[in-house]
Amino acid sequence: MSKITRRTFAASSAAVAASAAFGLTPARAQAYPARPVTVIVPWGAGGGTDATARIVAALLEKDLGQPFNVVNRTGGSGVVGHSAIATAQPDGYTIGMLTVEISMMHWQGLTELAPKSYTPLALMNEDPPGIQVSSSSPYKTVKELAEAIKAAPPGKFKASGTGQGGIWHLALVGWMQAMGLPANQVAWVPSNGAAPAMQDLAAGGLDLTTCSVPEARAIIEAGKARSLAIMAPARNPIFKDVPTLKEAMGIDYATGAWRGIGAPKNLPPEIATKLTAALKKVYDSAEFKDFMSNRGFGTVWGDAGEFASFMDKGDAQMGEAMKAAGLSKA
Amino acid sequence: MLKTLIEAFALISTWEVIIAMFAASVYGLVIGSLPGLSATMATALLVPVTFYLSPIAAIATIVAASSMAIFSGDIPGALLRIPGTPASAAYADEAYAMTRKGQAELALGAGVWFSAVGGIAGVLSLMILAPPLAEIALSFSTFEYFWLALLGLMCATLVARSSPVKAIAGMFLGLLVSCVGIENPGGVPRFTFGLTDLFGGIEPIPALVGVFAVAQVMRAMLTPEPPPLPRRKFGSIMAGQWKLTKKYHWQMTRGNIVGIIIGVLPGAGADMAAWVSYAMSKRFSKEPEKFGTGHVEGLVEAGASNNASIASGWVPSLLFGIPGDTIAAIAIGVLYMKGLNPGPTLFTEKASSMYAIYLMFIIANILMIPLGIAMIRVAAYILLAPRSAIMPIIMLCCAVGSFAIGNNMFGVVTVAAFGIIGYVMEANGYPVAAMVLGIVMGTMVEQAFVTSLIKSDGSILPFFERPVAAILAAMAIGALLWPVMLWAWRKVKPVRTGVAATSR
Amino acid sequence: MRLPDSVTGSFLVVLGTAAAYGGWLLPPVPGQPVGPNVFPLVIGIGLALCGLAIVFGIGHTFEEAEELIPLEDGQTAAAPPPQGKLYALRALLPPALLLFYVVSADRLGFIITAAIMVYVTSTALGAKWKLALPLAALSPFAIHLIFGKLLRVPLPAGLLPTPW
Repeated sequence: MSKITRRTFAASSAAVAASAAFGLTPARAQAYPARPVTVIVPWGAGGGTDATARIVAALLEKDLGQPFNVVNRTGGSGVVGHSAIATAQPDGYTIGMLTVEISMMHWQGLTELAPKSYTPLALMNEDPPGIQVSSSSPYKTVKELAEAIKAAPPGKFKASGTGQGGIWHLALVGWMQAMGLPANQVAWVPSNGAAPAMQDLAAGGLDLTTCSVPEARAIIEAGKARSLAIMAPARNPIFKDVPTLKEAMGIDYATGAWRGIGAPKNLPPEIATKLTAALKKVYDSAEFKDFMSNRGFGTVWGDAGEFASFMDKGDAQMGEAMKAAGLSKA
Repeated sequence: MLKTLIEAFALISTWEVIIAMFAASVYGLVIGSLPGLSATMATALLVPVTFYLSPIAAIATIVAASSMAIFSGDIPGALLRIPGTPASAAYADEAYAMTRKGQAELALGAGVWFSAVGGIAGVLSLMILAPPLAEIALSFSTFEYFWLALLGLMCATLVARSSPVKAIAGMFLGLLVSCVGIENPGGVPRFTFGLTDLFGGIEPIPALVGVFAVAQVMRAMLTPEPPPLPRRKFGSIMAGQWKLTKKYHWQMTRGNIVGIIIGVLPGAGADMAAWVSYAMSKRFSKEPEKFGTGHVEGLVEAGASNNASIASGWVPSLLFGIPGDTIAAIAIGVLYMKGLNPGPTLFTEKASSMYAIYLMFIIANILMIPLGIAMIRVAAYILLAPRSAIMPIIMLCCAVGSFAIGNNMFGVVTVAAFGIIGYVMEANGYPVAAMVLGIVMGTMVEQAFVTSLIKSDGSILPFFERPVAAILAAMAIGALLWPVMLWAWRKVKPVRTGVAATSR
Repeated sequence: MRLPDSVTGSFLVVLGTAAAYGGWLLPPVPGQPVGPNVFPLVIGIGLALCGLAIVFGIGHTFEEAEELIPLEDGQTAAAPPPQGKLYALRALLPPALLLFYVVSADRLGFIITAAIMVYVTSTALGAKWKLALPLAALSPFAIHLIFGKLLRVPLPAGLLPTPW
């Protein structure tokens, strides 16, 4: 009796080994997900990326019938979590939230990871930078501000919004270049995120910030700051009065911080298709739309192919801005 | 006003909110009191839970858990000399000294009572003074922060009962640790030795857990099991508190005020409030020589201060979405997630929700007294349990707690390394608390200094020109020169000081 | 582990100098008058000066001998423990166990690793098997219940998955 049991056990484990070796059979893929899925977030609990990941995970769970557990793998300024996604088993049971940093850090020589290290699944969100000044600032339009920046000696104007070499710093550099000015025309004051920068703007320590409008929202509503323009192709429906750069001064420059869902490289295509389809449903759901518009986050959809080309384009744009600012090691 | 207050009452008197609040209070007390786990972590681990709750219940859990955890961080600090938060590291030695004198209940009773009083003072300030407090927060630019951080660092020498040179050395070690990583103004990896895990730097919490909890277990390995502490009857915990309140009412008020002001400044928070208040208490005390020997005065002031700062820390969070500390940063995330977006509209359009938050703060602080007493009674049993049963659990908590911060095994490695560092430092008379302070404040000092110089094009004049900066500068320089002048004075007039000392 | 002040002081001088030198090597950042090199440089020099002061015994008079280091109990009357080169190494057991956790938790799983840690620590502190064994058997489950189950900390399952 015991012998037979052992033999059946051996046979079944051989079958498991075989399916692992030869890839998943279509029957198994139909069954995906058969157990809980881990969603890795490279940033801490309570932040915007975490919140987005949690709403996406909750909706995926509802659709696919298995728990999607959000795990915050923090540390290394995002490198640790991003590399945990890249190095996980490509079996569909570990996916993660990719953020714009993945197209920036490798230019600075901080990691080998790049957009190419992942199987892109879907782009869910993009937030363009805004241009904010203090409410006591003499500049009422972005054109006036730009003229004053052009006329001033390099470094006279001070801007902030994030750390040195962060996304909003590169947005500023990109804007300066689009106006034909050197990267250091406006001095960058590194800050520990958007909130302290907005505080310093209101305290009178800065001339402008280039963080996203949602990040500046509370201070703007408190009447301590004004948003002059956003660096996006279209206006934000929540801040209808803020013009785009193109409308305000005819400069066609747009960039943004984005978030998308990705998986380790070499994810079986059946699973990838299934996940992308489920993510599309999540994206179209009222819950997701409501949540994102409540927080003022922009929603942008891109399927696997679009997300891949979006990241490639963004990667090249970031590389250019980094080189201009003297931040690139590559 | 009355109508919104009634609406607010209606909002919080649902079963969901009441149960959430009670459960979160117990949870906060337990997590905060486990050595190796911190108030910040207690709050962060609640985020997934709040996802399933209604907006008011979600905020209730955060409010209750964070208030309780900050207090109960004092419990392992007092009983085992393992502070649960960087704030309680400031006075853990003092509270532990009281426990050894058999006054554990007085120390912890003072903790719970003055924390509750401080918490309520903080909420009242939040209710009445939010707009002027917000103005204070917004008048602080990096120039002011630089002096503030410097003042905070000076507390290292005041708090330690050791050679001031070694205290300063400990503080410098902490500052050096804070250099590690990429999160410096230049965004350049420093002292990372090519390790990805070091990019994010070394966080204060694993370092704190290492130098206190792991080092304590290491010491236990070499010392024989001590005879159990004289088991006096664990008397009424609250009995002596009213007497203390009357005796130290000025210290308590000063602690409340300092806590409220520091709490309102984003980035400073409860940790700094506790240090500054404890140091102030010692400096202005009539009997400073008693500090560090189990004297309750400093505990009164620091306890009153750090819980006051928790509530006032919500002012910039609620008005501008600028977090006062890491706990507030998590709370802001939850507020956004629940559609209670921070901003002045929260105070006008959603006034009843705002009042509900105030009320929950007050209730949490009142609830803290009975629950805290119950917790102290239970926790006191660990003084009876054999060391060989307590220490293994502490080890396990250290491992799980440091892992859970970032779900990253590197946290555990950090804790182990800081255990060794803390053990060696302590054995040689270097105060580890000073190092923790250095780690907490280091980033702020550098960030404020470098960004200030960028903004002023390299000129140091604005450090003294801005009115608030000038006052803080005078205080910092005064505090720096004071011991030197005192020392010189004693050299010149040795006899006078001798007389003064005996006349005390 | 009580070392002479001259040893710890000298160590600080070396560490401070190394930090200052390490900071010195860092490249300047475009657009920042004070680069990332300045802060380590200042700290390194400060640390080295403190180290020198300690070597020369400045500030030593402020130290309050042994009472300053709160021993486990303050009962100095307790008999000194058996001395020996190996005995002092016992202090390294806790950090070693934490490293053991790092290395083997993913393979063995949380429950087994934690049980080993608890048993070893408890025995090393003089517990009889009657205490250590039940403690090692029960406490990992309790901790796992709180953190793994209720708070969703992803503790590794490894060889012995928990029943929940």
